[in-house]
Amino acid sequence: MALTLTCPVCGKRNGYEFRYGGEDKGPKPDDFGSSPETWCDYVHMNRCVAGIQKEWWCHRDGCGVWFTTHRDTLKNLEME
Amino acid sequence: MSRLQNQPTLRVDTNKPLSFTYKKKTFSGFKGDTVASALFSGGIRIFSRSLKYHRPRGLYSLDGECSNTGMEVNGIPNVNAEKTLLEKGMQVKAQNVKGSPELDAMGFMDSLDRAMPAGFYYRTMHKPARIWPIALQQVRKAAGLGKISPDFRMTGEFDEIFPTTDVCVIGGGPSGMTAAIAAAETGLRVILLEARPWLGGFFDYRQSEFSRDLPHYQRARELEARMQTLPNIRVFTHTAMVGAYSNNLVTAFQIGNEKDPFDERYLEIRAQSMIVATGCIERPLLFENNERPGVMQIACAHRLANTYGILPGKRAVFSVAHDLGIEAALDLFDAGIEIAAVADIRDNPSHAALVSELEQREIPYLKGWVAREALGAPLKSVSLTTLQGTFEKKLECDLLVASAGMTPVTGPLSMAQAELAFDQHTGFFLPKSLPVGVYAAGRLLGLNDSRAIEASGQVAGLSAALNCGKASAQALKDAQEMLAGRPQAERGCNLVMAPVKGRKAFICFDEDTTVKNIKQAIDMGFDATELIKRFTAAGTGPGQSGIPGHNLPLLVAQHHTDHGALTRPTTMRAPLVPTLMATYAGTNHLMSKRTPMHERQKQDGGVMRKIGVWNRARYFSDDFSCRREIENIRNNVGMLDATTLGKFRIFGPDALKALQRVYVGDMAKISPGKIKYSAMCNEDGCIIDDGVVVQRGENDYYFTTSTARAGITVEWIRYHTRYDGWDFNLVNLTDAFGVINLAGPKAREVLSEVIDADISNAAFPFAAYQEFTALDTIPVRIMRLGFVGELSYELHVPGSWMETLWDALSEAGKPFGIANFGLETQNVLRMEKGHLIIGSESEQRTTLHDVGLGGLWDRNKPAVDTVGAVALQQTENQEKRLKLVGFKMKNTRTPPKDGSIVVDDRIRGHVCIARYSHTLQEAVGMALVEDPLHAVGTEISIYEDECQGQLVSATVVPMPFYDPKGERLRS
Repeated sequence: MALTLTCPVCGKRNGYEFRYGGEDKGPKPDDFGSSPETWCDYVHMNRCVAGIQKEWWCHRDGCGVWFTTHRDTLKNLEME
Repeated sequence: MSRLQNQPTLRVDTNKPLSFTYKKKTFSGFKGDTVASALFSGGIRIFSRSLKYHRPRGLYSLDGECSNTGMEVNGIPNVNAEKTLLEKGMQVKAQNVKGSPELDAMGFMDSLDRAMPAGFYYRTMHKPARIWPIALQQVRKAAGLGKISPDFRMTGEFDEIFPTTDVCVIGGGPSGMTAAIAAAETGLRVILLEARPWLGGFFDYRQSEFSRDLPHYQRARELEARMQTLPNIRVFTHTAMVGAYSNNLVTAFQIGNEKDPFDERYLEIRAQSMIVATGCIERPLLFENNERPGVMQIACAHRLANTYGILPGKRAVFSVAHDLGIEAALDLFDAGIEIAAVADIRDNPSHAALVSELEQREIPYLKGWVAREALGAPLKSVSLTTLQGTFEKKLECDLLVASAGMTPVTGPLSMAQAELAFDQHTGFFLPKSLPVGVYAAGRLLGLNDSRAIEASGQVAGLSAALNCGKASAQALKDAQEMLAGRPQAERGCNLVMAPVKGRKAFICFDEDTTVKNIKQAIDMGFDATELIKRFTAAGTGPGQSGIPGHNLPLLVAQHHTDHGALTRPTTMRAPLVPTLMATYAGTNHLMSKRTPMHERQKQDGGVMRKIGVWNRARYFSDDFSCRREIENIRNNVGMLDATTLGKFRIFGPDALKALQRVYVGDMAKISPGKIKYSAMCNEDGCIIDDGVVVQRGENDYYFTTSTARAGITVEWIRYHTRYDGWDFNLVNLTDAFGVINLAGPKAREVLSEVIDADISNAAFPFAAYQEFTALDTIPVRIMRLGFVGELSYELHVPGSWMETLWDALSEAGKPFGIANFGLETQNVLRMEKGHLIIGSESEQRTTLHDVGLGGLWDRNKPAVDTVGAVALQQTENQEKRLKLVGFKMKNTRTPPKDGSIVVDDRIRGHVCIARYSHTLQEAVGMALVEDPLHAVGTEISIYEDECQGQLVSATVVPMPFYDPKGERLRS
């Protein structure tokens, strides 16, 4: 995997070591009402930014931490 | 055939002959030869027949840019003979011929070209549609490359390494070596890749002077010696770079020599900086019969003589457009070849001295002339013409050295996302801008002056070092000034094609694409190079566009306008050089985890299976229905190695909050000494795991997960608490603890032999948790559970104590008939009891409600605080869902296969598990069926492969099948 990511604990590492955790959507809102659609949208709908987006990654094969970082989805490069 | 002995540039060792077979005859070459050079030396001129027209093909470039020398070597087809080093005893065969390459029964295909215009099979062989499968077979038969036997097994060792480096240099020619030295001298780690088996690039075979009394090849060896003094340079020769990706990730594959422990190996190099110094290949000259054996490029003829000591012909004509062509003519003349003429497309060579050297040797030099047509097969003569086609002359020869100039090897740059643009001056596609950390050096920038080439390497090496935080800006500036002081890029030849029609002027050898085919495509309305490439297949062969890569966009641009701005190269993709699948596959890494009881279980007759990441005992006899194992649990007692269960400790002030987040139950209700059974759902309310939690101290819990979830649970809990900043620690103890499931009505009697404590049903009842010391020594955590439906104890012990405790239990259990049981027995037992395995009785869409475990969900917990609870609220009363039911087979003792579908007029669900139950004396199972088929008493029909259209019937019944009141597991 060409991607490298910077783990806040272990530093810059090979992308193979990480698990993608999706776009950063912020903490769950307190109330979703009773509509399954609203909930479904929250869980499954993504913005799919063509450019720089903030996302969650887990250093699975390292320290195990979850962290956010910014990645350019067009170049598959982490932003400095 | 004898070799030229006095060439100082030889790369073959004529003291070490190697014999091999071709066409049932023994041939001989030398150590250092390629298969192709050895065959050429043995008099072979035709190496293969072409894909479509079965035209004879021979040596052309020597660097594998086309499939002309694709041969079968030791049973492996499509081996590029010009890049494969000769080994003793090799079995070499020609490909795509009926008969021999010299006398191919399919040779008549060449005269049928009018019947096969560009894309003819797309346009003709689909009406009516049924002819395509027939046509396909015939086309494949006639247009085969190599063939591989279906039972062919690849032998050899294939390795892989993943080195990290500061600077990765691609290309071991003068600029690459200079760059590597410059970067390494700043103290950085450098990796240098060279596709050929030796370093030196285009200096390696040249005897001309680099400086006074220093020939080019000597200069290359000086640079190589300098590199050897720098231990921080790691050189990989015979290593072709095949891909470049973001963050300067470079992939390559290396061919091992006899000292290497591998045949080929894959390299994935992570570099901070990357230098592309891949130099140039030659741009093929387009004229009629430009691929006839006997026609070859400059470096091919030059290297045959200087590297391999083989004279490429007796009488040669040169049609070139670069000083290197004149240099080659002089060298070949001196080696003993008669040179009939040197035609040069250019008005003047860059170095006038070369012309006087030709004059000294009385070789005619024809300015503004070019080859028009190669005549005769084998080559007998060549017709030359002026560029306008006004005058012609015919010269006899058996060798035509033809080349339209140089073309940079930009594949690596292009893959690294460098933007390439057409440059009028050089006629090259040059990098307009380079990504961060990527540098280019040497001939691919259009430089020809040897000193300038090295200076550009110096600049690239220092730039790369600066990018790594080493090297001084001043040193770089000095190097740049040095480069500026040398001759700049030279004007290149812009001629695309000799003045001919191009019916037999081949732009792509691999796919037999002629200039006429390109014209046909353009006439049909294709205007983009990428589309023309696909329609005519030009550049889609094993040569990876090596031959047409530069000419195709130039030719297409000519059609649009002579203005070069529109000219764009086609996209390069990995692998840039054909690579064996075996090399990508690497070593076979079939690995699985083993429990501490692995060897003991095997000794006891366990039939081991790879299940998930583990290797586990599935059966303990040849009877895969496991009747005796099952009956022993129901009547006596047995032991199962359940070490694979996920086991975790969670502790800290916020540990309970984290458990509340991921479990659907109210974990605050856990009481010491009691087991809490609960489940985890995902945000869709679908069940993903079940397990038990116990409290071992204040804010200190121990919990289990299913085997399949063991690897992901820590990540899952941390993910779902990522916004909270809670204070808790999570430790995966899966591999630290072993688990023994001691089950059966006599389990208590066995356990009491090793534990000196009151474990009576009153003191240690069902669902209790307690910690003991077994054999006065071993700390053991015991949960009284009942997954298999009998009295049973789950013993959790440190892994290092597993065997001791296991052996003690086996010994103690002997009077009670203790025996091993495997996974299949457990599977049947738990099915009879109606217990689930997540993933067997559930799938992606199955909610907690669907499997009847809705009662585990505590609806008083705030829904947004529990993963999945919002969806559990919303799906609770949803209709038409697949619900888990138990069923009994009607009129048959044979259970349907797991996964069989439940149907009526359409698919209504599937069987999750079904077995013949020895305990119940009938076939039972569980299925996920569409609401409302789940009502007890409903008859369902099941389809499976062998039912021959006769659906089998079953009746939905209440679960569990066995011991519905749970008296046995509470006993």
